[in-house]
Amino acid sequence: MKEKLYKKEIWLTIVFTVLLMLTGHSATLFVLFPGLQQGTMWGFPIQYILPIVLGWFGLALVCWVMAVVCNRFDDEMEALAEQEKKNRVTVKTA
Amino acid sequence: MAAEYALSNIWIGVGVVVILFAIFYYVGWWASRKTTSEEDFYAAGFSIGPVTNGLGMAATWASLATFLGVIALIQKLQVPFVYLWIQWAISIPLLTLLYGTSLRRMKAFTPATFIRARYGKPSTIIIVCWMMLIMVMYALGQMIGLGQAFELLFGVPYSTGLVVAGLATVGFITMGGMYGASYNAAFQMIVMTLAMVVPMGAIMKAMGSSGWWFPPLAYGDMVPSMLEKIPTFFDMKYDLRWYFALIPAFTLGPVALPHLAMRVFTSSSVKSARWAVVWFTIFLGLLFSGTYVAGFAGNFFEAVTGKAIAKPDQTLLILNVFYNPTLVAAFVMGGALAAGLSTIGGNLMAIAGLVGNDLLGILAPDMEKRKKIRWGYVALGLGGVAAILLAFQPPKFLVTSILWAFGLLATTATPAILLGVWWKEANKLAMIISSTICGVLYIVISPHVLPGIVVGKGLAAALGMSGGMVTVPLSFAMFILLSLAFNRMSALAAYAPSLEDKKVIDRIHGWGDEYDETRYNGTVWPIAVAVVCLLVFWWGLQPWS
Repeated sequence: MKEKLYKKEIWLTIVFTVLLMLTGHSATLFVLFPGLQQGTMWGFPIQYILPIVLGWFGLALVCWVMAVVCNRFDDEMEALAEQEKKNRVTVKTA
Repeated sequence: MAAEYALSNIWIGVGVVVILFAIFYYVGWWASRKTTSEEDFYAAGFSIGPVTNGLGMAATWASLATFLGVIALIQKLQVPFVYLWIQWAISIPLLTLLYGTSLRRMKAFTPATFIRARYGKPSTIIIVCWMMLIMVMYALGQMIGLGQAFELLFGVPYSTGLVVAGLATVGFITMGGMYGASYNAAFQMIVMTLAMVVPMGAIMKAMGSSGWWFPPLAYGDMVPSMLEKIPTFFDMKYDLRWYFALIPAFTLGPVALPHLAMRVFTSSSVKSARWAVVWFTIFLGLLFSGTYVAGFAGNFFEAVTGKAIAKPDQTLLILNVFYNPTLVAAFVMGGALAAGLSTIGGNLMAIAGLVGNDLLGILAPDMEKRKKIRWGYVALGLGGVAAILLAFQPPKFLVTSILWAFGLLATTATPAILLGVWWKEANKLAMIISSTICGVLYIVISPHVLPGIVVGKGLAAALGMSGGMVTVPLSFAMFILLSLAFNRMSALAAYAPSLEDKKVIDRIHGWGDEYDETRYNGTVWPIAVAVVCLLVFWWGLQPWS
């Protein structure tokens, strides 16, 4: 259980770090793949408006998911800590 | 300074500023009555809810530059500067994810509180000195902006504007401590958002856009005219390395900014901090998008009317004077002031925390709590007065660029915090050596101190992007490799992390007293990170076009 939670913490941190970087640095993708610099969205060139939208709504969405998932993870950690505490009390009492 | 911008009725400007300051002082006075402990003074009693804190985070991050400097830079550099600005929104989410919630769990007042628990006193002094330098640069830049704003608004000499605006600002921040800074910042964020976005709607309508009802994203119908006048406006202009270089200096630097981290620490709980971040992204996104449209409109104004804006810093104000009534233009100026004040509030609280709590905790560990709070107030007030005095005749080195300072912080403090939180092998001596050497190297290879020794050219060098691409990865790699080496030398055993140091890491990650030596303690991943960092370092050293 502890090992599983530890790995989960590491993976959550890596995945959300990558997602945050993608929302903040999406403009780099248009330099890396210049072929993507085609078309428009809401009247703007795609390479202009998409980084703005991702840096606002995309980021908000990632942070919302991050809050939900990481807060649930904290609940699991707290439950584990509580269980460990109970186990220690039981051992002492015995 | 001859201003292109001038209010037709100066008393309307005076009225707006007096009303705003009256509100800030009332909040400061109300907050002072709530402040009875160190927790209240430095962390608002760890009590700020998600929406207020989200507003406060956004206000603290958005400085006077959001209203003045960035618009000028969008006019100069066009779209690449918009990209540079966009990535700043991820700084607080990233710091919250990577260490903010962990440090909130240990009830730290500043990131240096953690440095002291993890690395000990000498390392803390090094980190506090770097952070203080950057906070002073930051506060100084805002003070200069405030002085210029008063000069512009009321036509008074710069020095008079500086003293009046500076002392009035330091007064309400010192009075209110972190409670006052938090609630004032939340209010200031509302003022600056309204001042940025709503008047832009009227300006866009006057410019003929049908998207005036939602200025941040609905100005697409102006694009064809813009392209006709400025065909290169949306060009990406720079190569891949320029965009990659945003990461070491501008993404990793703000992650360690103490005044941003302190906003996370004021949250009422770890979970509340994460929800505050969601609100932060929404509020900041709205304000930043307003900045982008202001930059776009400034270019559009020049292209369509043929009028040149000689002082691009004043673009937003000039547009408002040109298209909107005096009261609206004065309110926009009030929004710019609010942006500066909220950042100064954060800077001064960080200085107070670093001096009053972290340094004093080392120099006088047995001092009574009541005395410590008093010293905190003194540090806060003196920090503000020092920023005002420096702003009279600012040393060129200190005002060169706040943006440049981000690379310095990324080099000196970010590796210490991130590796300290995530890696048990992080060694105290390795931290001191890598932070000091790479910090000095960053200053040396910038064009601001020794122009003969520079990595990179032009804007990339001036903003610290090329320098940061060299020293930030070098600092990470040096820290990791030296830690691995020093921890295996018996002569340096005193600098190796003790069991108590390692227990700190497990505790702040939420494991309580349940310690496991194998957690956060590998060597493969850190070595892989060091190798990648060395590759980036090598890339940064290649000639810049």
